[in-house]
Amino acid sequence: MEEIKPSNTSNISVDNYRKLVQTYIDLHIYSTALFWADKVVAITGNPKDVYWLAQCMYLLKQYHRAAYLLKSKNLDRTNLQCAYLTARCLFEANELGEALKIINNIDSMNFVPPFNTSTSFLLINTPKNQAYSSFLLLKGKILEGMDNRGLAADCYKQALHFDVHCFEAFDSLIKYQMLTSSEEEDLLKSLPISDQCSIEEAEILQTLYESKLKKYHTHTLPKPNESKIMFGSTPGSTDRSLNIMHLTPNPTFIHSGFSLSTPTLVSTPNVVRNNDKNLKKTERDILKNDDSQMQVESQENACLIKLKNSLDLQVAEAERLYYNCDYQACSSLTEAILKIDPYHDSCLPIHISCQVELKQSNKLFSLAHNLVDLYPNLAISWFAVGCYYYIIGKSDFARRYLAKATCLDRLFGPAWLAYGHSFAIENEHDQAMAAYFKASQLMKGCHLPLLYIGLECGLTNNVRLADKFFQQAQSIAPDDPFIMHEKGVIAFQNLDYKTAETQFRKALERVKRIKKGIVPQRWSPLLNNLGHASRKLKKYEEALNFHNQALLLTPQSASIYSSIAYVYVLMENYEEAVEWFHKALGLKRDDAFSTTMLNYVIEQLTEEEPPYPNCPDEIPKFSIEPKAADCTATESIAEDTSSVIPSVNNQMSDMSMSIEVDMVDASGIVKE
Amino acid sequence: MDIPIEIKLDFKSMKKDLIHGIYNCSQRGLYHAVKWLSEINLSLKHVTLPSESRPEKENDLEEEFDEFILAKSYFDLKEYDRCSHFVKKCIKPKCKFLYFYSKYLSIEKKKLEDNMIDTNSSHDSTKNEALIDLCTTLKIENFENKLDGYSLYLYGVVLKKLDLIPIATEIFIKAVNAEPMLWSAWFELGKIIPDRHTIFATGLPDHWMKYFFLAHTYLEQLNNDESLQMYNTFYSLGFENCTYVLSQIALGHHNRRNLNEAIDIFQRILELDPYRLDNLDTYSNLLYVLEMKKDLADLAHKVVNIDKYRVETCCVIGNYYSLRSDHAKAVLYFRRALKLNPQFLSAWTLMGHEFMEMKNTNAAIQSYRHAIEINSRDYRAWYGLGQTYEILKMPNYCLRYYKRAQQLKPNDSRMVIALGEAYEKLDKTENALKCYYKACNLGDVEGIAILKLAKLYDKLAEIENAAAAFTEFCLREDGREQKTVEEQAEFYNALQYLANYHLKKGELDDAYTYAYKCLECEETKEPGKALLKTIASKRAESEAGPTRMSESNASNTDMVFSPNQM
Repeated sequence: MEEIKPSNTSNISVDNYRKLVQTYIDLHIYSTALFWADKVVAITGNPKDVYWLAQCMYLLKQYHRAAYLLKSKNLDRTNLQCAYLTARCLFEANELGEALKIINNIDSMNFVPPFNTSTSFLLINTPKNQAYSSFLLLKGKILEGMDNRGLAADCYKQALHFDVHCFEAFDSLIKYQMLTSSEEEDLLKSLPISDQCSIEEAEILQTLYESKLKKYHTHTLPKPNESKIMFGSTPGSTDRSLNIMHLTPNPTFIHSGFSLSTPTLVSTPNVVRNNDKNLKKTERDILKNDDSQMQVESQENACLIKLKNSLDLQVAEAERLYYNCDYQACSSLTEAILKIDPYHDSCLPIHISCQVELKQSNKLFSLAHNLVDLYPNLAISWFAVGCYYYIIGKSDFARRYLAKATCLDRLFGPAWLAYGHSFAIENEHDQAMAAYFKASQLMKGCHLPLLYIGLECGLTNNVRLADKFFQQAQSIAPDDPFIMHEKGVIAFQNLDYKTAETQFRKALERVKRIKKGIVPQRWSPLLNNLGHASRKLKKYEEALNFHNQALLLTPQSASIYSSIAYVYVLMENYEEAVEWFHKALGLKRDDAFSTTMLNYVIEQLTEEEPPYPNCPDEIPKFSIEPKAADCTATESIAEDTSSVIPSVNNQMSDMSMSIEVDMVDASGIVKE
Repeated sequence: MDIPIEIKLDFKSMKKDLIHGIYNCSQRGLYHAVKWLSEINLSLKHVTLPSESRPEKENDLEEEFDEFILAKSYFDLKEYDRCSHFVKKCIKPKCKFLYFYSKYLSIEKKKLEDNMIDTNSSHDSTKNEALIDLCTTLKIENFENKLDGYSLYLYGVVLKKLDLIPIATEIFIKAVNAEPMLWSAWFELGKIIPDRHTIFATGLPDHWMKYFFLAHTYLEQLNNDESLQMYNTFYSLGFENCTYVLSQIALGHHNRRNLNEAIDIFQRILELDPYRLDNLDTYSNLLYVLEMKKDLADLAHKVVNIDKYRVETCCVIGNYYSLRSDHAKAVLYFRRALKLNPQFLSAWTLMGHEFMEMKNTNAAIQSYRHAIEINSRDYRAWYGLGQTYEILKMPNYCLRYYKRAQQLKPNDSRMVIALGEAYEKLDKTENALKCYYKACNLGDVEGIAILKLAKLYDKLAEIENAAAAFTEFCLREDGREQKTVEEQAEFYNALQYLANYHLKKGELDDAYTYAYKCLECEETKEPGKALLKTIASKRAESEAGPTRMSESNASNTDMVFSPNQM
């Protein structure tokens, strides 16, 4: 601004007026500033003063007026700073075509080969590269608004190259899942971070950005340097992962589980279905973004470890927990974050998804109410409302509000997915698929829509198509255990049990790696399905083992009980089978499978079993030894009998012999 | 395995352990354990400890002491959620235990409150989510070996609630190793340990508590004799006034069907401790079985005065009404008992019996099933289930349940007879016969097995055996008076059969005796007369011819006389 002050008018009062304008802008009293800026323009007519006038209008959200002002003075063609502001105004006014025209004009004027027109450059007090980057960022936003996302992404990338600190460009690139995770990593690698800042700063920036990348295939533990920061940030959760690393897992737990499964329910789509994994980042409004950017910058000189206090990093941690299915820990972390910053916008989607997982309808209800009251224009608010209706099972309402959320922000992926779920839960496969398709178009870099589409295909018995979608999903996220699991299910449906088993095992291995052996409850269907697959492959012992492990994760599940029972039937251990079928029916009385099987097994038992242990094989000869317990009266009778029936004594020896023989037989039976 | 365990007790160290145990358990709100320990402790009143070995109030909490005190006070006031909130962040094992325990109790309390509405649908697995969460937390803690003995016990309880019995067993064993004075852990372990072989296979600590555990568990597993033997040893070692030991002895006698001894002991217990309600439901069962109406009424009135809302009280009253054939009211009281404690085994079984009386088989089945879910060793429930399925005409199921009952009570003839009847229904005569045979060998309390056995021998054309069995039957019946009409009929049919049999064999004297007896009854009078005539004619023949011939004649008579019995 100092440059503006030494103006050609000699009148001192103009400078005073200019100062007034500045002061009022700083004090956010924009109308007053506008009033005086107008007067300054009237006096001087200087383009810089016009710029400030337009700036006031911009701050007063009078975008058209500002744009018109600048254009009418033709400043959008002659003055870079004004051109930028014009474009910005037009963008805010949603006149995207106009805005793009102006931006392109600037490009053609002097801009693109960045370093040749340094003299005419007018954003005087900003470094050049940041200025370029801001132009490119704006262009990207405009292109994105025009649905030209490929070009937009290019612009963002360029912006980021000019200024690695331009978080908004980075965020725009990743938050809508435009890139696959490997592309994200490539992007991060290609950034000229070390050129633009010192080594320490580079490390910080790298860490910060990394924390934003996709998490669902994050390896077990955060990367080394990341973890340095993480530890201590949230004592509860991170401590835990540390300890698990060092302790040798307690063997009892893993081996000794017994469990069971359901033969029929192989495809357990709910596992994946409710998992709004992709609920990643939300819209950030621009203001906040600026804030966080400033925050990031200001912290750069602070020690790396102090960064743990940054909510952004904690959100990243929460997200990681979420993808690892550790919902309890995730929820407590997000709650802590929201206590500090009640409307932390990147935390909210994770928090909401977490509440959906935990079925905390009450918490979600009040949260949604607050959000709708405060930010009725944000998609996230209506997303929360929709999620609330989703978990209380009112799909109609859920759809209505989720649709509203998608209207407000067409790129808000989580809402699309939840919209799809609301159909899927009611077995409306076609409509669900339509929603998922929409989501997949929007989130090119995210495998979840494809996964869900595959799931729906599987449910409608379109196995081959399902497999194709899973392949696609896997090409995006090769390490996601959910995809492996679903592929296994499809293979199972295809009667290809070998493949199914391998897929399940691969998935299990990945899951186990996440927490060093503790498998989250969510994965109980995986174990159960492994049981089914093993059973089909006639590996009954293994099947039992897996079912038992599944039972450890979800105790008292009728379907697992009857699966175990079924394995026992196949092993011809009918005694056990009956026990387990009874348990299953105790929980679910009208289970047709269990009832039928139980009838069958009980008949088998009647046929095969001896009436009681050590029962003689042949019809025993009559001979009674009255028991001492049977009171004295019988004793006297016993004497009588011996006198009356002369044969008794002889038969005694016979009988004892026959019993011996029987015992041998009986033990033979047991061995079989 | 079968070597009787030598019980050696060192009273001094016992007393010391007890005092410590009582202090520690009461600090943690484990009131049942405290009660039990104190009962034992009272019997050791005569043992005095040097004053320095009394437990000083060790402060093992340091800076968390204040939170603990606060939380404990909430705990004592049954404000469990509040309690857990205040010790949430503590890391000392004692506080942690209190945290988990209050969480657990809060879950259970809520479940019980929901349950107040309808007892029959108490088992709703969806409501267990909170419990599963708690279980997961404990699992992780255990994984990191962070749980002390008390928390391990709690973990075991949660696992048991979730029906993960094998792991629960393991955890309880760990718990008793860590805290041998924690009676509750021993108690729970005793309920789920499958049989006596596993008891010795598992690594239990060598502690004097083990003796009590073994005795208790033997009783639980219906090894009554061994259990009684151990308890009698305790009794003679100085626990003659310990109500716990006495009541266990009473239960043992009850299981062995020494009903009178059991009643005597219960009466002694009531003298020693007139306000003790524990196990009185068993006492009321005894009175019920012996139809001692007056005593049962007296007991019912007494217990109502002590505490109206105790499960035992409700069961006593239920039994009382049942004895007065007021089954609907009895059910009402059993239901009340179950509302107070849905895990109270005998109430479920007794309620099942009442439903049977009221011919409500569905409700009966449900009740019995609940009983079995709680304790699969409850042979009465299995037997009851068998009966209901018999009524429902599902013989395969019925057979299965009787079989379970029989396995649990291998020496109870009633079970084997029921099993035999089920086999008969399935037309498996041979198996049925074997069952009756076993029943006879076991003593046949009700005296019906021998007759059934005889009939089946006859059916399978095992004439010799049939005759022997019938003879035995007749001998037994002969002495008895007061027969019902049916018994009369059976008796005389048997006589008739025997008369025919001996006639066939040519043993005319025997045949004559039996045939003559047949005349006593209206229905068999005519056949009896006919038989006598034949015998007379035979006699005439044999006197004429050589005696040896008599046997060859048997085949003729056979044609004439045997048909009815087939």
